[in-house]
Parts: sequence; structure tokens; C-alpha cells
Amino acid sequence: MGTETGRGTTTATEDEDKTFVERWASGSIADPERTYKVLFYIVAISFLVTTLFPFYWLTVVALTPQGNLTDVGLLPNGFNPGAFVEVFTTVPFHIYMINSVIIGLLTTALVLLLASLAGYAFGRFEFPGRTPLMLIFLAISYFPPAAFLLPLFELFTANITFFTLPGGTEVTSPMLFNGPGAMVLPYSALFLPLSIFILTTFYSQIPDGLEDAARVEGNTRLGALFKVIMPLSAPGVATAGVLTFIAVYNEYFFAFLMTDGRVQNWATIVWGLLSYQGRFQTSYNLMAAASLVGVIPIAILVVIAQEKIVSGLTAGGLKE
Amino acid sequence: MATETGRDRSLSLSSPGRWIEGLSDTQFAYLLLTPCLILFGVIAFWPLVRTFQMSLQADLLYGAERLGPFVGFENYVELLTGERNAALPRPFFDPSQIFTSALTVTIIFTVVSVFFETVLGFGQALILNQEFRGRRWARVAIILPWAVPIVIQGMIFFLLFQPTIGFLVEPLQQLGVFSSTPQANSVESLVIVIVADVWKTSAFMALIILAGLQSIDRSLYDVADVAGASKFERFRTITLPLVLPSVLVAMLFRTIGAMRVFGLIETVSSCSTVPSLSCLVVQAFSSSRYASAATVAFVTAAIIGLVVSVYIVKFADVEGGGGF
Repeated sequence: MGTETGRGTTTATEDEDKTFVERWASGSIADPERTYKVLFYIVAISFLVTTLFPFYWLTVVALTPQGNLTDVGLLPNGFNPGAFVEVFTTVPFHIYMINSVIIGLLTTALVLLLASLAGYAFGRFEFPGRTPLMLIFLAISYFPPAAFLLPLFELFTANITFFTLPGGTEVTSPMLFNGPGAMVLPYSALFLPLSIFILTTFYSQIPDGLEDAARVEGNTRLGALFKVIMPLSAPGVATAGVLTFIAVYNEYFFAFLMTDGRVQNWATIVWGLLSYQGRFQTSYNLMAAASLVGVIPIAILVVIAQEKIVSGLTAGGLKE
Repeated sequence: MATETGRDRSLSLSSPGRWIEGLSDTQFAYLLLTPCLILFGVIAFWPLVRTFQMSLQADLLYGAERLGPFVGFENYVELLTGERNAALPRPFFDPSQIFTSALTVTIIFTVVSVFFETVLGFGQALILNQEFRGRRWARVAIILPWAVPIVIQGMIFFLLFQPTIGFLVEPLQQLGVFSSTPQANSVESLVIVIVADVWKTSAFMALIILAGLQSIDRSLYDVADVAGASKFERFRTITLPLVLPSVLVAMLFRTIGAMRVFGLIETVSSCSTVPSLSCLVVQAFSSSRYASAATVAFVTAAIIGLVVSVYIVKFADVEGGGGF
């Protein structure tokens, strides 16, 4: 960048009998683009190394046999792939993962259904209260989960009485604690706003003519929505779905607090991983192996759906 | 819902399809929004109102009832003046204990991590904005940490800084930077938590800034080239001002996220070593101080609201008063 001013001060003939460094330096001065390129690759590679190194190091720790764990270097001290099997035998980690995936899928389904309806309303209609409602929905995602925790905990542990029947029986809220509902409902509310905004953008880009044509052909309002508009917005629905699933699989707060942590009570990978930390104080190789196993579903999703993730995040970000 | 059933009755009850056809656009839009409004009402608005209501009552540590009598804003006054500090698992704000007070820990964590995330995210965005071979895979590598579950992110940095196995701890100890048990030391744990957060979320910044970079009109750079501007001048006069709104949006999102930090701390260290505001809510809640927990939760929400409004004002400034 700064070398640009030195352009053309040296010529190629002077390069003879110089050390490599000098030759490289004068070459760079003659051709600043080259320096720039080298710098670019150095920076790019250092970013890649810092983002990927922890995964490499987890593999090293996971492969190191239990007895050698006091001295882990940059290469595994021994080779013990058995840790990846032990992960499932000491703790039913696969069940924790299945719980996570099921809760993720249930939330994604609920969010997509509700967000499609809301996104259609916001994207296709001008109605009184549209802008304030959108802002209120957006505001929900600003609140910290802690601000919802206490009442939701009461609600999900059947501690809220709706009303008392004449006979004296109290109708209380359902007991959702330790079940999937206690996580799916808060997640849906928390992650719905982003999906609504992604889908609003998508629906608003569909030309009016298409919908009119569908209506003229004798489709009802809902028929036009489900048969014509929704299929057209499939890319948006996929984006919103991928982002919602990743967000749920990522989540910690409610996953930690809305179950007692037992695997039969819908505890997710949060509890699965923490159980290695709690029970087996020195099983660092198992913690590392379990972390790698837990990343696999999300890594696959990132590789497959990276375009969707990028477009969804940026659409959500630029919506402001 | 009640108004809809009322309208329903006045129209033909024969088929819901025909009833929907008869609605005006506004009525139809609200019908489509009804499921969302119900969910938000029960899972978001009601809990917020209820949390506020709880924060106006007294803590009741014994007995069948969870909350004591109505005390107005006493909880808030005591929390903000520091009188409540002794009763809470960790102080809310105590100038003599900056690294174990929830407010200061959260602010330090937020400011430092958002600063580094912005700088690194900007760098990553500039890299991804170039054409080069393997760009697709570079992008996967940069996004991957963002998608890693918080508990796994925490586990990675718990292990990296674990004295017996983490190879980073020994050299850092020899340099005198870290003590022998960094995960039990508030300052050192805070540093580890910040490093972990920067590792995971710089990518998020990068993606939003990248979108801003890609929306810049290329012909501006051609004009700059003709005018003989250097690469640095091009960056300073074109790239930076045009990408600033995206940077601010990314910073806003990250600031909101950082102020809620909880799970990362629980996994890497513990909530009593690095007490964030969300940690304090959970700790007060588990020690049956429901009213105090509700008060801290509401104060946290208010602080986030304040930060959001500062950003929105700043954003309107940058956009030249253009608003959204």
C-alpha cells in the first residue's frame, strides 16, 4: 500500500548479486501488487488457522489416551480412537444429540409456519398498524432471555392458575418443564422475529401479477398463498429454516434451565457435554471427542447451506 | 379472537373459506398474524409484564408463597444504590470489586469483545470480498465457529486453558500473564471468555460487513483510480464511509448478544467467577430471590434498550438523517 509511491525507482538489472530478501524487496517495490498479494495470503491464512485450529486441537486431545493427558502437545501423544466410542458408552451422548435435533426440528417447523403467515401479511399488505407491529416484533428479539425466564418457569411448572372451576378445581398451566414444549415455545418466540423479517423481504419481492393470476384462476385467498406464493418463496423459507435450526442447536440459556438435565427429560447437548465436565473430572479426551461429535451435524449444515446462511444473515442485518 | 368469532357469526357459517374471502385486506392480514400474536402474547409479552410485576414485590425466602408484599420501586432503588449487593450471590455494582460485579463485568466483556470482533470481522470481510481460489471453502471455515453451539465453544476454551492439558497455559504462566488456575480467577477467566467470544462471533460481523462491502458501487473505485488515489485513500474515502452503516448494524446485534452472555461463562468458568447480568438473574433465581432476580432481569433489559437507542441515534447520524 505505502510502497506504491516507490514505483519504478529500481530496475530489474539491479537485481543481480542480491540476497533473496533484497531481491524480493526490490521486486515488491517494482510491483506493489505482488506485496499486496503476499500480504493478503498471509492475513487470509492466519484467519483460517485461528478459526480452524481449535478443531484440530480437539482432535489431538480426543485421540490422546487417558493416561497421557497431562502432556498434550500439538500432536497426539499416543493414538486412541476408542474415545469416540467411549463418548457414547459413558454418557448416552447420542440421545442428548437426538433430543437437540428433535427440539430443533419442532421449533423450525413451528417458526416456519407462523413466520410464513406473518411474513405474507407484512410483505403483501399495507394495513393500519403494520409498522408499529413490525417494530414490536423486532423489539422482542432485543430482550435478554433472562427477562422471560421467571414467569415462563412458573408457567411451565404448572404454577399459574388460569381460573377456578365452580367445583373448586383449579385449571392450571400445563406441566411442560422437562419436556420439549418448555424449550420449543420460548425458542419459537425468540427466533420467530428473524424468520418473519427474512420472509417479509421474500414475499414483498413476488410480483403482484402472479397472485392476481392465481386468484383469477379460481384459487381462494389461502389457496393462492399455499399453492402459488409459498412455493415461490421456498428459498426464503429454506434460509429461515436453516438459521432457526442452527440458532436452536446453539442455544444454551433455556436448554440449561428448562429441564433438570436428565437425558430422558429432553436434556440437550448442553447437558450432555456438561455431564462429562461434572462427573468425569479428568476425562478431557471424552469432552473433546464429544465436542467434535456434537459439531458434526452443524458442520454438515454449514457446508451444504452456506449460501443460505450468508443471504439470510445479511438480509436480517440490512433490514434495519 | 373474540371479534373474529363475532364477525364469523354475522357472515355465513357455511365454509371458513368463503368467510376468509369476504374479509378486507386489513382483516385478512390480522387473521394471518393471529397465531404469531398469540405466541408472542403468552411467551413474550405476558412474561415481560409479569417480570416487571414481580420486580415490584419483596423477596420472600421462606414459606409457600414465592413473593412478598408490594414494595414499589424499592428493589430498583436498593439494587442501583448498592444496598442489595450483600443479599445477592454477587454484587450488582461495587466500585471496589469491578471484576466480580455483574454490571461492570458485563460492560467490560461487551466493550472489549465487540471491539475485537469488529476489527477482526472487518478484516475477514475484506478478505472474503476478494476473488481468490478456494474462496467458498474459506467462507465455510470462517462461518463454522459462528455455527458451533455455545456449549461446545465453551468446552473448547475450557480445554484450551485447562492447566493440565491446555498447552497455552504453561507459556502464559511463565510469562507471568496467567496464574496456575486461570479458570478460578475472575480477571483471567474474563479474558478467556472474551477470547472465546471473539473466536466465535467475528464471523457474524464479517458476514454483515461483507454484505455492506458488496453493495458498494464498483464505479466509485474506477473514479478513484482515475484520480490517482492510493489503495489506502480509496479505503478511507470510499470503502469506510459507505460500509459504516453495515458495521454499526453488526455492532448493534453483537452488543445485544454480548450483554446477554451466560452459557459461555458457565462452561468455561462459572457464574460465580465471572458474574454477568444474566448469571446474576439465574443465581438470584436459584437462591429463591425471585423479586431480586426479576429486578436484575428488567434492569438488564433496560440497559440493552438504552444501548439500542444510542446505536439508532448514531445510525441516523451516519445515514445523514435518512433514518431507515
